[in-house]
Formats: sequence, C-alpha cells, structure tokens
Amino acid sequence: MWKQPYFVIGFSIIAFFLIGSFVYEWIWGNIPRQVYYIMEGGRAVEGAPISPNWQFPLGSDQYGYDMLGKLMLGAKYTILAALAVGALRMLIAVPLGYILGTYLDKHRKWISSLADSMHYIPLTLFAAFVLTPVLWMPQEGFTTTIWERIGVQVVIMALLTVPIVAILIANEAALLRDKEYILAAKTLGAGRFRIIRKHLYPQMREKIAVLYGQQVMETFIVFAHLGLLNLFLGGTKISYDPMFGDPPMSISYEWAGLFGSTFRYLQGAPWLPLAPVLFIALTIFAVSLMMEGYLRSKNPTAKKRRKAAVKDPVVEWNREQLREAMVKLKERSPEK
Amino acid sequence: MKLILKFFTAIAGIILASSLPLLITGWLVGEWRWRAYFDSISSTLQELWPLGDIAFFNNRIQQPVPLFPNIFEYIVYSLEILFLALVAAVTVSLILTVITMLLSEKARERVKMALYFLESIPDLLIIMLAQLTVVLVYKQTGFLISKIAAIGDDRIYWLPVLCLAILPTIQLYRLAMLTFQEEERQMYVDLARALGFSKVYIILVHMFRNAIISVFFQSKKTMWFLLSNLFVLELMFNLPGIMLFLSDNMYPLGFLVAVFSFFLPMFFLYSFGEWYFVRRLRGKEAV
Repeated sequence: MWKQPYFVIGFSIIAFFLIGSFVYEWIWGNIPRQVYYIMEGGRAVEGAPISPNWQFPLGSDQYGYDMLGKLMLGAKYTILAALAVGALRMLIAVPLGYILGTYLDKHRKWISSLADSMHYIPLTLFAAFVLTPVLWMPQEGFTTTIWERIGVQVVIMALLTVPIVAILIANEAALLRDKEYILAAKTLGAGRFRIIRKHLYPQMREKIAVLYGQQVMETFIVFAHLGLLNLFLGGTKISYDPMFGDPPMSISYEWAGLFGSTFRYLQGAPWLPLAPVLFIALTIFAVSLMMEGYLRSKNPTAKKRRKAAVKDPVVEWNREQLREAMVKLKERSPEK
Repeated sequence: MKLILKFFTAIAGIILASSLPLLITGWLVGEWRWRAYFDSISSTLQELWPLGDIAFFNNRIQQPVPLFPNIFEYIVYSLEILFLALVAAVTVSLILTVITMLLSEKARERVKMALYFLESIPDLLIIMLAQLTVVLVYKQTGFLISKIAAIGDDRIYWLPVLCLAILPTIQLYRLAMLTFQEEERQMYVDLARALGFSKVYIILVHMFRNAIISVFFQSKKTMWFLLSNLFVLELMFNLPGIMLFLSDNMYPLGFLVAVFSFFLPMFFLYSFGEWYFVRRLRGKEAV
C-alpha cells in the first residue's frame, strides 16, 4: 500500500492539511493575521479584501483576515468531521448489512425497496432540513457547546444514508453467500457468525474500504452544499441585531462556512469563495487518489501486465538466436 | 401490485421524514418528543387538505400566496431543467462511450482513469467557474453568452442545464464504459466477431441494447446526485424553481410539497423504465 505512488500522494495531501492545521494553531494561535490595507510607497494601494499576492497567497477576506491562514485553521474541523461521518456510517451500516444479508435474508427485499425510496429525496435537502434546528442559532443563543453540535451533526449525517449503505452491503453479502466455498463451509458446520467473520468479511474488505472512501467524498460535498445554505459545521452564528446585523457566520473557520458566507462575493472577489471550494476539491481528489492506490496495491494486475511487457531476457535471447539463424540462412542462400 | 406497495412505502417514508426536525430538537435537550412528532405529522396531513387552501410565503414579492396553481410554475421550470440535463447527459455519455469503445485497450484504460479523477470535482466548483467564465468573456468581448442569474420571473436555460449535465455525464460515461467492457467479454460478441461483423456494428446493434439495461439499473445513484445538484444550482443561479421555493419554506408542509413534486415524476419514470426493461429481459428468456 505504501509503495503505491497514488496512495502516498493522496495520503500526504490530507496529512499536510491536518498536521499543518494543528501546527498553524500552535505557532500563530487561532486567529489569522489581519491587515486592513497594503501600503506601497507611502500610500495605501489596496484595502481589504486584498487580492492574492506574494504576501497573501490566497488574498484576504472582507475584514482583512488572511485567507490561507483561515483555510489552514479550518482544515482540521472539516477533514476530521468528514472522516468521522464516513467511519461512523460504515461502523453502523456494515454490521447491519451483514445481519440483513444473512439472518434477515427473507426480509431483505422489502427493506431494500423501502431504503430505495430514499433515492428520491436529495441528500443535501434532507440533511439541511434535519440539521436546521441543530445548527441555526436561536434568538437567545446556543444552549449547546460547539463540540456537542459538531458531534450531533456528525451522528445525524452518518445516520442519514445508513439504510442505503447497509442495503448495498446486504445485497453484496447475499451474492457472495451463494458461492460454493460458503456452501462448503456451511456443510462443514460453520455457523452464520463464523461465515460472516471468516468468509464474507475478508472477501469484501476491499469493497468496504472503497465504500468508506466514497462516503467521505460524499460528506465533503454535502458539507459544501450545507455551507451554501448557511448551515455551517458546528453551528451558524446569527446576529439578530435589527440595525447592524452581521451576515450569518461560522463559529470555527471550517471550509463550508468560509465558502457559504462568501459565495455572494464571487464576482467582486472571486478568491474568497473559490479558495475554500478548491481546497475541498483537492481533499476529495486526495481521497480518490488514496482509494485508487489502495485498490492497486490489493490486486496488482496492472503492475503485472507492465512487468510482462518489460523485455524478458529469455525471449530476448530466443530472438537473438532466431536473428542469427536467419542471417546465416540468408548468407547461405545466394551460394545455392 | 408490488409497485403500488412500493409507492405507498415511499410516501409513508417521506411523511415520516417531514417532521423529523422536531424529534431532533428534542434530542438536543435530551427528551423524546414522540407526542409532538406525531402531532406535527397529523397536523401537516390535515393542512394538506383541502389542497386549494394551502398558502406559502413568496420571498420575491414578500407576501403569502396560495400554493395552487402557483407552484406549478416552479415545478415545471425545475423539471424542465432536470430532464433537459438528464437527456443531455445520457446522450452525450452514450455517444462518447461508443466512440471510446472503438479505441485500443490502452487508450480506454487512460480514459477510464481520467474519468475516475474527474468525478471528484465538486459541482460547486463547476458552477462557479462557469459563472466566472461568462463574466470574463463578457468583460473581454462584450458578448453575453448567457445570463448568470435569474431576476424576477426570468427564465434562463442553457447555462444551468450545461452546469447540471457535466458531472452526471462523467459518471454515466464511466458507468457505461465499465458495463460495455463487461459486455464485451460475453460469448455472443466473440461469435459475432467470428462471423465477420464489424466492430461498430457489434457495439451499436448487439452490445448496446444489452448494456443499456444494466446502465439503467445502475443509474439511480446518478439521479440521486443530480437532484442534490439541482438544489445547489437553483440557489447559485437564483432560479425560480421548486428547490428555491423549498429553501424559503423550510417547515414540514413545505418539505412535503416540494419533495412530492419531484418524487412523483421521478418515481414514475423509474418504475416505467424498470417495468419496460424487466419485460424485455423476461421476453428474451422465454424465447
């Protein structure tokens, strides 16, 4: 796995964001640097939001905070939450799927048609609808702490698509269960639990890993969509001041919030919403790189084919022999 | 019969989901508010009848308006965009698949790899880049390719459809590629080749109609994804569609009405497709 370049590249991108995020906070504290205007030759040339330049690679926001700093500070919330959502979803869905696929196989059909109806409700919409009471700040302020809210959000988002993932796994397990070797194991007296643990799970390990990657990618997208609806990871701070109300703000610097609160500035200051979305895209890309690398390390057919194409010394030697024989033949023929 | 049962379970599921936020508010303070939950469901259902009396809040004119027949404008517009994008995605991806299938094995693997990574682009990025490009072109040349936001009752079509269609095209393209390659290993393809049919003929006539069934059954996930994208698209382009209506009316009744409005057409489309393809499959087995 660690020899696959795809996996290593993907892993280092994510590791860079995560470690960078913690290191940034450790060195510079959890408030990014703030600059109101840039001076050049004694006069101000540009006020906040500052467009990207050498000093601020991603520019600064409308209050003069450094975008790169904000993104780095926010990386840990977004990435860890997405990983947690995927992990929790798999932790619930995998055992459930196995139970459905083996113990409750008679009921699998109608349960799967029930779960199937979820395909008609857009995920983002459902998530937004269900999460609004958790994340939208009520008039009198939040009664929960930020970590509680993040926890509740992760749990709810994980639960939302558990039925679909569980049915996927159940169908897969039911397919595998009809194979001969499982039948043989059954005949030898293996119980259902043993079959799951020793036969079904090892067979499906790769599929489950890929499914996990897909869940994480999906979660990133849903986070971004929720950001568009002003529902940010860990809650949305709303100012109920009727006169000088601030726009809805994210409490942490997580990426969905950075995108959601700035996408109205797309034309005026395109780097504000583009930078977080690009970071999200990069992370999703990193996850898909890791998945591809993992798969390649598990079934190295692609590698083998390339190795076969590499010149084999024996073949080479044979060819050499053939060529010599041909040359000899040719030399001999004019004499005849 | 089975279909009707499925239809009703789906409807029941949506109704149960419509009051879920109440339960979650209860969990936050550590209580089980089953009573409030079921009360909310029953009151929502009562409000639903008579249909003519439902009113909703229109953010554009800042006052409540009766739901019917105003809602049809929203629904029709959303469905128009959705189905235009769907048709575009299906057509383009199938054409591209057939063309790619004619290439060599190595080129196909490369295309598949590229598609795999292209799939990871978020839809938001595509929409934002499209909007920025339009403005940039307009600033440079003075030529407006398309409006980037709808104002009032404006209808814009082709840019949103394009943005919506790109990702499903990529997904369907990859899906179709995998299915066609699977199909290529079947015996009848070898037979047809041995009989001397050309590659194009085999792909278009023989493989196509078998592979398309499998692509259809696997495309549900893409449709699901398309619905989420439609939601974001309407917000970003400020389109007067059903999703924008919903985001103004985030309460159980609004949720119910909005979800039903695209659940019904989608459900019938898929049920019809399933019925049609299953019948064809059965017919083939009988022969």
